[in-house]
Parts: sequence; structure tokens; C-alpha cells
Amino acid sequence: MATVSFQQATRVYPNSERPAVDALDLDVADGEFLVLVGPSGCGKSTSLRMLAGLEEVDSGSVLIGDRDVTDSPPKQRDIAMVFQNYALYPHMTVGENMGFALKLAGVKKTEIAGRVAAAAKILDLEAYLERRPKALSGGQRQRVAMGRAIVRQPQVFLMDEPLSNLDAKLRVQTRTQIAALVKRLGTTTVYVTHDQVEAMTMGDRVAVLKDGVLLQCAAPAELYDRPANVFVAGFIGSPAMNLVTGAAVEGGVRLGGTVLPVPRDRLARAAAASGRVTVGFRPESLQLVGPGEGFEVVVDVAEHLGSDAYLYTRLAGADPDDALHPADVVVRTEPRSSVVPGQSLWLGVPPDALHVFDPATSQRVD
Amino acid sequence: MTTIALPGTDSTTATPQAAPPVRRSGAKGGTGGRAGRAGPVTYTLLTLSALVSIFPLYWTMVAGSHTNAEIAATPPPFLPDASLFENIGAALEQAPIGLAILNSVVVAGSITVGTVLFCTLAGFAFAKLRFRGKGLLLSLVIGTMMVPTQLAVIPLFMMIAELQWVNQLQAVVLPTLVSAFGVFFMRQYLISALPDELLEAGRVDGASTARIFWSIVVPVARPAMAVLAMLTFLTAWNDFFWPIIALTNSNPTVQVALAGLGSGYVPQRAVIMAGTLLGTLPVLIVFAVLGKQIVGGIMQGAVKG
Repeated sequence: MATVSFQQATRVYPNSERPAVDALDLDVADGEFLVLVGPSGCGKSTSLRMLAGLEEVDSGSVLIGDRDVTDSPPKQRDIAMVFQNYALYPHMTVGENMGFALKLAGVKKTEIAGRVAAAAKILDLEAYLERRPKALSGGQRQRVAMGRAIVRQPQVFLMDEPLSNLDAKLRVQTRTQIAALVKRLGTTTVYVTHDQVEAMTMGDRVAVLKDGVLLQCAAPAELYDRPANVFVAGFIGSPAMNLVTGAAVEGGVRLGGTVLPVPRDRLARAAAASGRVTVGFRPESLQLVGPGEGFEVVVDVAEHLGSDAYLYTRLAGADPDDALHPADVVVRTEPRSSVVPGQSLWLGVPPDALHVFDPATSQRVD
Repeated sequence: MTTIALPGTDSTTATPQAAPPVRRSGAKGGTGGRAGRAGPVTYTLLTLSALVSIFPLYWTMVAGSHTNAEIAATPPPFLPDASLFENIGAALEQAPIGLAILNSVVVAGSITVGTVLFCTLAGFAFAKLRFRGKGLLLSLVIGTMMVPTQLAVIPLFMMIAELQWVNQLQAVVLPTLVSAFGVFFMRQYLISALPDELLEAGRVDGASTARIFWSIVVPVARPAMAVLAMLTFLTAWNDFFWPIIALTNSNPTVQVALAGLGSGYVPQRAVIMAGTLLGTLPVLIVFAVLGKQIVGGIMQGAVKG
């Protein structure tokens, strides 16, 4: 086990002007489970591959423990990686796949057999050790890929979207298993995913990247409660946080035909540059209030999910053609509510559930 | 107002997004039913193709068992007879067919092993390794396919004469140990059949490039290697132009020896045909033994690709 540290690590692909990873500064503690999350092309996989030694580091450095591994080949880094498509050797049996790295390292046959058997037991693969990958289901292949990583007993596990090839149900199940397994082994893990639910449920900390830049790295709860900028606010949470931009007026921000109260000092700082303010509120923090108390929305669609219901609404009085300032608001309500499309509602946001951002910088204002 | 148009409703839901189920690679589409069954037309066409393919070999047997006059008669004979064996015996006497078959096995075998090995190595490098000048080198390799063999014959002969290799087997083997077609063929196969992640997994597991080649690339490339081996062996076995220049009848390959049979004042076609039959047999045996494996290899590659 070891710490991992990216120090101003930058990767610019040949024939590309924009860095895929731009001056990444990130420290992963010993034994920590860190998730890199972000949309496609945000640089999360590239960061992981830089740590693995599969991608060059153009400037800055990467450290594993105290060792600077920036220019070391993968085999000198003492890491194990689980690939998105598992990358199992098709001509080797499950047992050979799991033992291949040990064989290359010159470990004795008896020890290889012992370690493979132990990993197979943990992953419930004992019955499949003699099978080839093509004779396994997707979930079993995924476990073999995990097994190949854990038999090595490496300092760091690297996982590149290891669940994305599984169906939804199996993904949820495997997610829990991986988190529990890694916790039990206590190995430092860097995990890449584009799925924010995976990120929130598995990581000790979550690092959100966009366009090669690290936007925020924090514990899941903090990421959810205090997103550092508009992107993180919109990315973390499902359904996403409602983000509405409106003109700053006396006492608050104008939403459609009404004014949503915003504390004076935050309003002043957020509106300083542009005269406008972006406010965010999560679907579950909206409350139904009496007419004239909050802001008014008109229900477009009501979605009943059994455990709860979501109302897809738009601000009353907002310009429907103003694409720059969308006026859609999602509300979580009690299940089986009697709200119907077309109905108008008044909603309020408790002051402590209101997120305020400066539209000029997209940064949070506290 | 209770019903309105519902603009701007997006597909965001409260639950994790369900990804479309992944199609397992093991799941194959059924080919049963009417669409998969061959009809009489198919069988007729297949039978005709088989007959057309077999006829030259059969005619070799017929012509190998009759004199020039009998073959020239109208109608010609349609059945082989026992004199085929006499003519085979005559061919064996008139030309060193035994030595020629041995030489051809050595020559075609060496060329096949060399071509498959070197083309797989080069194909792997062109398909998966990053190095400076890769595009230019590949263009050069492919460019050599456009240069006719005949153009290289004189300089090549001068070189082997200089090396004093005339009439020695290495003169035939060495110039064809690697082929541009083979390099291109292996490159194309490996690009589609060998995922980059497999090589990266190997590197993370601690394998050197050489180890990755032997332990990961070669097993994956095996179907294409089998096809290339078959094509190369056939080409090398049947090659006549360069061997007749580089070798003589004292140390011939099969094709050179057969040419020797036909060199009399009045060529005895029956003896030539009997010799040809003898020279074709080893290739037929190779096909009979390995045919299933070769076809299996092609199919495996098709599914993977």
C-alpha cells in the first residue's frame, strides 16, 4: 500500500493543442478509495493511464509512495489495473490469467497456485479456474479481471470503468462487492467512472474533472452539499440540481415573474461582475408553499416512481425561448400526489438549501 | 386546463440510468430455419464447382496413363489405367523427383516458417507499436508489392553468384523469407483482432515487448498465421520462375525437376503428367490433414474480427 500523488501532471496528446490533463494536482492517501469522475473526454481515464505508466507525462510528475514514477515503465510501478473490457487473455484459462503476472515475476509455481486459489475463493471463481474467458458470463469475466489484480497484492489498484460492461442490476451488485473487497484489502485504489452514482456510493473521496481540469475533490457528502462550482452542482446528483440564472434585484434573484430571496452579501458578491446570479436548489429541497410566497412553476410532466415522484416543471412567466437561461425546474414530491400536468404550483427553497454561484466565474459564493 | 403539450421534458429520472443490456460475445444468431437451409440450386452449383476444381487433377491422372497419340485421339480417353504407375516409374528414373520433393519440402517449409514469423513480427510492429517513421516504412513495404519479381531477377542472381550460392537451396529460400503481402495481411488482422488493452494488460503485468509478442500476440494471431502459412507454402511449392534460375537439375525443386522432364526432343506428356501428379501429392496430403484446421482458423478469425 502507498500514497499516490499527481504534481502538476500534464498530458498533451500529439496533434492536439488542448491538454487532455491539465496540471493535475491530486493526493491520494494510503488505503484511500478515490474516484475520478466526469463526462466523456474530461481526462479521467488519461489521468489513470498516466498513473499506470501507459500514457506519457508531458510535464509535472507522478509519485507512488515516495518514488517518482513519472518515467518508469508500468512493471516497475507495482500497480494492478482492471480494464473496462477486462482485457483477459483469451487463450489462457482463468487460473492462468490470474497467475500470469506472478509467473512473469518469477514467483514459484506452488505459491502462484496458492495465491490464485485464495483470490478465486474470495471472488467465488473456484469452479471456473480451468475455463477460458469466452466460456464465462460478463459478471464472471469482471471478477476474473478483479482476481488478476488482487493476486498481485500491488501497492495501488487502478480501475478504469470496470462496471460499464455489466447490465444495470449486476452493476449495482458488483459495485457493492468491489467496494467491500477493496475496503477489506485496504489497498489504495484509484477508480475511474462516468457514473456519478457509482462515484458517490464507492469513493472515500471523489474528484470531479472537466476538460482536463480538476474542479473539486471532496468526500461525497461534501460534494453534494457544497459543490464548488456550477458544473459540479449539475453533475453530482440524480436528477440533477436545478440551476437557474436570473437578474439580481433588491432582496434576491428574479425567477420568471417572482423574486427568490437570496442573502444580501452573497447576492452582492455573485452579481458583482454580471448583474446576474445563478441559483441552485436540489429537487428534494423544494417545498410546496402558499400562493405568492415563493416562485411559481407550471407542471409539464409528473413521473411516479413508486417510492417518490418527480415533477418536471418550468418557471411561470419565463421566456421559453431563452436557451441560455433554462427555466426547467425538477421537484421531488410525495408519491401518488394528485398533481397533474398543466397545474401551477408555488415552491419555496429553505435558505440553507440554496446554492449561489457567480455566473461570470461559475464559482460558488458562500 | 388539464391537458397541455409537454415541451421540454427531458429523460432524467430518479433512478440510476439503465444501460442497454450488453450482448454477450457467446450469443450467436441462429442460422436454423428456411434461410439457413441449402436448396437444390445451391447443391448443383457446389457440385459443379467441385467437379471443375477436381477435373485438372483427374485429367493429370488420365493424361499420365496414356501416350501422346492416345491423348490426341478423338474422343480422348476418359479413364486412367495401370500404365500410370509405369509412367510414374519412368518419371522417377528420368528426373530426381525424390530429391526434388525433399528439396521442395525444405524450401517451402523454411520459407513458410520464416515468412510467418517475420511477417507476424513486422505486422505486430506496424499494427500496435508506436515508432518514428512508421507510416513511411509501411508505405515502403507496401510499395514493394508493386515491383514485379522479374525486375529483381538479374541483380538477385548477381548477388547469389557473388555469394557462390548458385544451385544451393538458400538461394531460393533467403530472398523470399518475408513478403510485403504477409506483413500487410498480419497487420490488418492484428489491428482488428488484438485489442490495445490486451497489450496494456501485459505491460502492467510486467511483460516485456518480446514476452508480450510470444505470450499474447502469437496466440491471438494464430488463425491468421495459419492462413498465411497455407498461402505461403502453396506459393513456395509452386514457384518456378526463380528456382529455375537459381537451381539446376542436379539439385532441383519439384517444379524445376518437372521442367527437366519436358525437355526432350519429343516431350513424353504421360511422363510429365505422372511426375506432376507425384509433385502435387504432398500438397494434397498437407491439405487433407490440415484442411479442417485451416478452415477453422479462418472462421475463428472471422468471428473475432
